[in-house]
Amino acid sequence: MSGAVVWLHGDSLSPADPALLANPTAPAIFVFDEELLAAAQLSFKRLFFLYECALEAIAGRIGSIRRGIVVDELRAFAADHQALTVHTTASVAPRFQRYVAELRAAGLQVVVHEPPPFVVWHGEPPRRFSAFWRRVSAEALRPTGLGPELPAGQEMES
Amino acid sequence: MQLRTDLTTRSERAAYLAEALAGLYSDQPTPSPIQGGRRAALRRLRAFDVRNYARARNQVNQRSVSMLSPYIRHGVLPLAEVRDSILSRFGLTPDTEKFVNELAWRAFWQLVYAHLGDRIHHDLEPAKQRARAARQPLPIAVIEAQTGLVCIDESLQELYTTGYMHNHARMWVAAYVQHWLGVDWREGAALFYRHLLDGDPASNSLSWQWVGSTFSHKPYIFNRQNVERFSNGEFCARCQLAAGGCPFDDSYEHLAQRLFGVSLAELEGRR
Repeated sequence: MSGAVVWLHGDSLSPADPALLANPTAPAIFVFDEELLAAAQLSFKRLFFLYECALEAIAGRIGSIRRGIVVDELRAFAADHQALTVHTTASVAPRFQRYVAELRAAGLQVVVHEPPPFVVWHGEPPRRFSAFWRRVSAEALRPTGLGPELPAGQEMES
Repeated sequence: MQLRTDLTTRSERAAYLAEALAGLYSDQPTPSPIQGGRRAALRRLRAFDVRNYARARNQVNQRSVSMLSPYIRHGVLPLAEVRDSILSRFGLTPDTEKFVNELAWRAFWQLVYAHLGDRIHHDLEPAKQRARAARQPLPIAVIEAQTGLVCIDESLQELYTTGYMHNHARMWVAAYVQHWLGVDWREGAALFYRHLLDGDPASNSLSWQWVGSTFSHKPYIFNRQNVERFSNGEFCARCQLAAGGCPFDDSYEHLAQRLFGVSLAELEGRR
């Protein structure tokens, strides 16, 4: 058991997800979070939008879309693919941090990839956007590249 | 439970998902006309013309905005990629600068969320002014988009049928719900969050707090003149209350008195 899987979540649901791009052949999974969604009762439109994003994100590789308890589904998926490592892309959501901690507590290695930065920021944010903008505007207005490239063959339409 | 990934048409997928996710939603299982996925996101990004954005972005009915927010929210298009695409195509102009400034709002909300976590769902500061309206739960008329105010109802109707609402209309609805109706911001935020394709805990809760003044230095209010200006008069032309009874038809000075019992100068923190 030395393989890896990629966990896609609602904050990074794209074929250009950094964890996916770093693991071009790894199986990938997205889980509709039963606990969260049963309580939230989001509109069907939102759920369908996520489904369409997830379908496209996993296209062209071994992929799975599931409904259930996120950590349980991830552990089962990793076991199915004899993987000890889960790659995923960072999210600031507290729930994401909890799931990562639970996966690690269950013995899986979790590698968290960073999305491309809009601006670099260290420390506590100011309380007002105007103060934030004053400090980052020069950097924000400077392109850092062309953004992530899609794997060959996936960027089809223009 | 494993979901199918082999269906190809939107209607097949919708019918299937409606059953597969039963119990996780309580509305009609109708997809939004806004399509998910990176290909749709890239189509929209490439089609977006930022020229005139600085002047026209608040026009609710003209759609000079990018409508990229659902894709940005779910990481389908990272902020950096959108910024780079727009700057490389249009260069640095007042329009691109304003657009990047609006992107930065999301970066700011995310930073605050990273720092405060779930505390963003509680008042972050004392309200600078409290609305005089008696506290009440979210009225059925808002939930059903039947307030009789065309600017509010059509904005809500678009939200319910497409999962999208123009940012300026969001500000109207959030201000109306909080300051005119006396509803706690969390109830309005929960309604938006259920429906917005770009619904994000940080952007949503913090924007409602910005309107309410628990994360800003003054409550945001608007009046009929603002609605007329940013809808090219279209909403008011169709509104039965335009001839009398419009709750927004007043000067800002009078609205400050009516809604908060203070002068406009006090509302804006000028004294």
